[in-house]
Amino acid sequence: MSVEEVSQKLENVTVNDNTPKTVLSDNKEFDVKHPLNTKWTLWYTKPAVDKSESWSDLLRPVTTFETVEEFWAIIQNIPEPHELPLKSDYHVFRNDIRPEWEDEANSKGGKWSFQLKGRGSDIDELWLRTLLAVIGETIDEEDSQINGVVLSIRKGGNKFALWTKSEDKEPLTKIGAKFKNVLKLTEDGLLEFYPHSAANDRHAQPSITL
Amino acid sequence: MPSYTIEELIQLKPSETLSVDFDAVEFKAIIEKVKQVQALKEEEYNATHHGHFNRRRSSHLHHGKPKVKQHKPKVTTDENGWSTFETKTNEEGDSENNSDSNTSNGNSAGFTPTISKETVKVKPNNRHISSSRPADNSDIITDKQVHGFNTFAALVSDDEDDE
Repeated sequence: MSVEEVSQKLENVTVNDNTPKTVLSDNKEFDVKHPLNTKWTLWYTKPAVDKSESWSDLLRPVTTFETVEEFWAIIQNIPEPHELPLKSDYHVFRNDIRPEWEDEANSKGGKWSFQLKGRGSDIDELWLRTLLAVIGETIDEEDSQINGVVLSIRKGGNKFALWTKSEDKEPLTKIGAKFKNVLKLTEDGLLEFYPHSAANDRHAQPSITL
Repeated sequence: MPSYTIEELIQLKPSETLSVDFDAVEFKAIIEKVKQVQALKEEEYNATHHGHFNRRRSSHLHHGKPKVKQHKPKVTTDENGWSTFETKTNEEGDSENNSDSNTSNGNSAGFTPTISKETVKVKPNNRHISSSRPADNSDIITDKQVHGFNTFAALVSDDEDDE
């Protein structure tokens, strides 16, 4: 078929108005949304600018999302990680789980942690990849071990943490290996798992290292 | 359970910015304000620390010369209206002369002891207390052996005895 014939055929194609609009066919008024497995909440920790501010004052939920389209809308409207002030945290947690050790869903779990040295531009891309892997449920396909993900903007190096609901070594090792791929880590990049039970111990050693 | 790969989710990213159900403008404003406060605090910190971050405490920073209090020379005016400066060195010289004259005359009643007007703080040299070295340098002189054994002198005296 020649190019002219293809063009002729395209002109003859009539758009069926009854076809539901997706985000790809109509950016503003789309009908079809792609549901996520669960609802997610975006939290933000504001850095303390006053000594009177407590942790509970600083940690606040920003918004929730249940579809891919809502997720992208939020990402487009919030500052990128490199724009955040020092001591800020972004948290994205499943349902109504609070990003705290004390939350029942977190209390028996831990976190996969990785520190990215320096404030490079990689942080935006790596944070987005982490979010996509978590909300798309590809990092934890078998059972929902993941409660949430945290990005901490720090002077010494930005931290990525994947919070899990248990300390079970076998499923966590699989998740850790995938998390390493998401963060584009090579063999040298060290990923460490710390149980929340040891969170108060400053000299705690990781229970799993990849 | 619905799952999407990273690539699939990226494909679903809209080209235009969508609206959200929270006040994104206010959220951004809060973050901007925090950044401003942090920048201001850093500026203040730089100003107070003269641009030196994490500077270690210098061992000689506040340890210059020891402060010695110099007494002002005393001014005395005699009956004729002559004013005389009495400096410390003069006083010491005078007192020495006086004491010498007093002792030579044997007149102990006119003796006036000189009292130093400066406060002298004596600190023991703790560094040497536990060691075998004398704590005070004057001890070196005291402990010094004064009378040595003179072999030649001993020989001479023996000869004399034999004779």
